[in-house]
Amino acid sequence: MSLGVPFFFRVLVFPGFLFVLLITLFCDWFERKVMARMQNRMGPSYTGPFGILQPFADYVKLFTKEDIVPRHAERFLFAVSPILSFSLFVLSVFYFPFDGVNVFSNAGFEGDLLLVLAIVTFAHFTLFLSGWSSSNPYAGFGAIRILTQFVGYDIPLLILAVSPSLIARSLSLAKIAESQLIPFALLIPWIFILFLIALQAELEEDPFDIPHADTELVAGYGTEFSGRKFAFIRLSKDVQIVFGAVLTANLFLGGPYGPVLYGSPNIWFTFWFILKILFVIVILQLVKAVCARLRLDHVLRANWRFMVPVALLAFVLTALYSPWAHFLMGVPR
Amino acid sequence: MKPEEEVASLIQGKLQSSVIGVKTPGPRRADIMVKSGFHRDAVSVLLEGFPQTMISTITALDLGDEIELDYHFWCGRTEATIRTEVSKSRPEIETITDIIPGASLYEREVFDLLGVIFLGHPDLSRLVLPEGWPREQYPLRKDWSPELTERSGFSENKPVKVGTVWAGGGGGSLVSVVLGPQHPALHEPERFLFKLDGETVVDVEPRLGYAHRGIEKAAEQLMFFQDVHLVERVCGICNVAHSMCFCQAVESLGEIEVPARAEYLRTIVHELNRIHSHLLLLGIAGLEVGFESLFHYLWRDREIVLDLTERLTGNRVMAEFSTIGGVRRDLNPILANEIKKGLSVLKGRMRFYKKVFSVDPTFTARTMGIGVLKEHEALKLSVVGPIARGSGLEIDVRKHDPYAAYDEIPFEEVIYKEGDSWARLMVRLDEVAESIDVITHAVDNLPSGPYRIRVSRRMPESEALSRIEAPRGELLHFVRGNGTAYPERVKIRSPTLANIISFRQMIKGCYVADIPAVLASLDPCFSCTDRMAFVDVKDDRRWIWSMNEIKARRERKEP
Repeated sequence: MSLGVPFFFRVLVFPGFLFVLLITLFCDWFERKVMARMQNRMGPSYTGPFGILQPFADYVKLFTKEDIVPRHAERFLFAVSPILSFSLFVLSVFYFPFDGVNVFSNAGFEGDLLLVLAIVTFAHFTLFLSGWSSSNPYAGFGAIRILTQFVGYDIPLLILAVSPSLIARSLSLAKIAESQLIPFALLIPWIFILFLIALQAELEEDPFDIPHADTELVAGYGTEFSGRKFAFIRLSKDVQIVFGAVLTANLFLGGPYGPVLYGSPNIWFTFWFILKILFVIVILQLVKAVCARLRLDHVLRANWRFMVPVALLAFVLTALYSPWAHFLMGVPR
Repeated sequence: MKPEEEVASLIQGKLQSSVIGVKTPGPRRADIMVKSGFHRDAVSVLLEGFPQTMISTITALDLGDEIELDYHFWCGRTEATIRTEVSKSRPEIETITDIIPGASLYEREVFDLLGVIFLGHPDLSRLVLPEGWPREQYPLRKDWSPELTERSGFSENKPVKVGTVWAGGGGGSLVSVVLGPQHPALHEPERFLFKLDGETVVDVEPRLGYAHRGIEKAAEQLMFFQDVHLVERVCGICNVAHSMCFCQAVESLGEIEVPARAEYLRTIVHELNRIHSHLLLLGIAGLEVGFESLFHYLWRDREIVLDLTERLTGNRVMAEFSTIGGVRRDLNPILANEIKKGLSVLKGRMRFYKKVFSVDPTFTARTMGIGVLKEHEALKLSVVGPIARGSGLEIDVRKHDPYAAYDEIPFEEVIYKEGDSWARLMVRLDEVAESIDVITHAVDNLPSGPYRIRVSRRMPESEALSRIEAPRGELLHFVRGNGTAYPERVKIRSPTLANIISFRQMIKGCYVADIPAVLASLDPCFSCTDRMAFVDVKDDRRWIWSMNEIKARRERKEP
C-alpha cells in the first residue's frame, strides 16, 4: 500500500474522517427529527433547511464553551478519555466498505469484524474511564452502570454479530456484505431482531439508557464534562450510533450493495449504504419512542436469563440452517 | 348527634375540668380549648375515639404575652381544633410526635417561625429558615420586623456549617449523594441527601425551605382582597385551589353568602385546574422513568385544558378567578359548549392513557411495587390527597367535607389499595376522568343569578378555617381577622408539607433508579432560592455555600 495523496484523501476526506463526521452530524439531525415527529414535536427547524445544520451549530457552540476540570478529577484520564473514545469509534467505522472497499482501499481482511468489535469494546471502556476519572458521585454511578451493562450485553452482541458469518463463510465485513444475495435480515430474521435488541443496549438507548439516565444521574458519566471535552463525549455518542447502524446495515442489510443504475458504482454504493443506515436508525428510534427506561437489575436479569441463552440457541440454529440458506440464495455448496 | 358535637362531647366527657371552652362554629368544625399541659391527653382521647384521626397542621399565633397553639385534626367527619396556650417568656410545650408521627414537620415549622420549643421532639431543627438565621428571631411573632434581622448582620451570602454528621456513617460501602437543590428530576429547588449502599437507598434526609417566601407574614401586611392575589402565588400549578380556599375562609369569617352560580363556576375552574395539574404530573412521571413520548403526548393533551382555562378566566395558568364574594368572570353558553366538546375529546385520550399505564411492560416494571406506603403508615404520617388515596385511605375533602358545589354534584372518590407509585399515578389518572364528569355536570346544571356580590373590606374579629381538595391533597387555610381590613394571621398548610414526610418511608430499600419515579409519584411542589449544599464524601462534612462563593471559587481557578 502506497501512502500517497489518494491514501490521505481517503483517510481524511472520503470515505474517511470528514465523511464520517458529516454522516454523524446528519444522522444526529435525522435521529432528532424522526424522534420529534414520533413524539408530535417539531424537532430542529431553524438552523439551515429543516434545521439540518442544528447539530453542527450545537457542536460549534460546545467547542467555544468554557472547559472546567473538577479539582479532584484524574486530570490526565479526564482530558484524554473523551478524545480517545471519539477516535476509537471513528476508527471502527473506517473498516466498513462504504464505497465497496474500506478506507484503506482494500476489501478488508479475514476477521476485521472481530477487530471492529474489539475496538468498540475498548471505546466503551474509555467511556467508563471518563466517568470514573471525574470523581463525582453521579459520574461514578454512571461509570459503574456502563461497565455492568456493557459486560453483560457485549457477550450476546458478539455471538449475534458473528452469526451471519456462518452463512457468509467469512469473518470479513466486505465479504459478509457481498454474500447477501438475499439480505440476512430476511434470511435469518431471528438473529436480526435479537441483534437489534442487543444493539439498543450496546448503544445505551431507551429502554437501556441506564448509564446516563438524566433524571437519576444528571448526565451519568458525562456529568463533569464541559466545553470541548463534553463535545467529544457527545460526538463519540453520536458516532457510536452511526457505528451501530453501519454494523447492522453491513451484517444484515447487504451493506453497500444495491441496484446500480448509471454512473460510477462507488457513488451508488455509498448512497445505498447511507439509505440503509437511516433505515436502521428509524427502527432504533421507534423502539426508543415506545419504551420507558428499565432499571439496571431488570436489564441484567433479562441479559443473563434471556439474552445470552437465546443468543446461543439462535447461533446454533443458524449453523444448522446455513445449508438451507445457501440453497435459498442459490449459492453452490 | 352532629359529628362536630360528637367530637366535642367526647373530649369534654373524658377530660372534664381540663377543657376551658367548647365551640362548634359550623358544620364539621369543632373547637376545643384545653388548659395548658392537657393537649396531649386531648389528642390521645381523640385518637382513641376516632382511630382515623390525622393531623392537619399546627397553627401558632402571637397573642402578645402568650403564644396560642391550634392543633387541627381531621377525625373522619370533623375538623377538630385543639387549642392551648404557652407563655411567650418560656415557650415550651410537650411534643405530640410520639402520639402522631405526622406532627413532626408542623412542630418544626412552629419552632422555626415562632420559637416554641417542643420538649421530646426527636429532631427539632430548622425547617424553612436558612441555617444562618439569627437565634432569638422569630419572623411570625408580632414584635419581629425585617430591620431586626438586618441589624443582626445576617446575610445569605455567608457559608454556614450544617453540623450533624450521619448517624452511624462508618460503613465502608456507604456513599452520600446529594440530590438537589438543582437536579433534572426536581422541577423546583429542594435538597435530598441520600445515603446509598451501591445502588440501594439506605436513608434520605430532605431539607425544605428553599422556596420559602414568607407569604404568611406578608399576608398580614395586606388587605384581605389583596391577599387573594398574594396567596394565589403560593403555588403556580394549584393556584386556583389557594385563592379559592382563602376566599372561602374569608367568606366564612365575614359570614358572606356566595351566590350559587359562583360556587358552580369555582368548581368548574377548580376541576380544570386539577386536570391540568394531574396531566402535568403524569407527564413528568413518564419523563422520570425515561418514557419521553408519554410525556410529550400527555402535555400536548394538557393544552386542551389550558386553552379552556384561558378562555374562561383570561389566563392559561394563573387563573385569578375567585374573589371574595364570588368569581371575576361569567361563563357564556358558547364557551360552555366548547368546554364540553374539548373535555369529551380529552376523555377519549384518558381511556388510551389508562391502557398505556396499565399494560405497558416497561412502565409497569418501573412503577408497580415500587415505593410502597402501607395504609397504616399513611395514616400514622397523616399524608393527604392522591398519596393517601393510593394507599387506600378515604380522605377526599370534596366527598367528606364538601365545599363549593360538591354536595350537589355526583362523583366517585378514587381509591387504590396497592400503595405503590403506580397506584398513586392511577389515582390521578382516574381523577382526571372524574373531574371531566364533574365539569360537564356543573356546566349543564349551572344555576342562574349573579356570579358575584360586593363585600365590605373590613372583616369581623373572628376566625375561620377552610379546607379544600387541591390537586395534591388537602389544602388548609386558617384566617383570623381583627376587625380591620387586614388579617391578624393567615396560616397556609399546603399538601406537599403533609406528604413529603412519607418520602423517607417509601424510598428506603429502593434503588437509585427508583428515586425520581417515587418522588414524581409524590408530586412535590416547592419554588426558588440561591443556596447550595455540599457533602465531602470522605468525612461526611456538610456545609452550604452561597452563589457568590461558588463564583469566587470558579474565578480563582484553584487546582
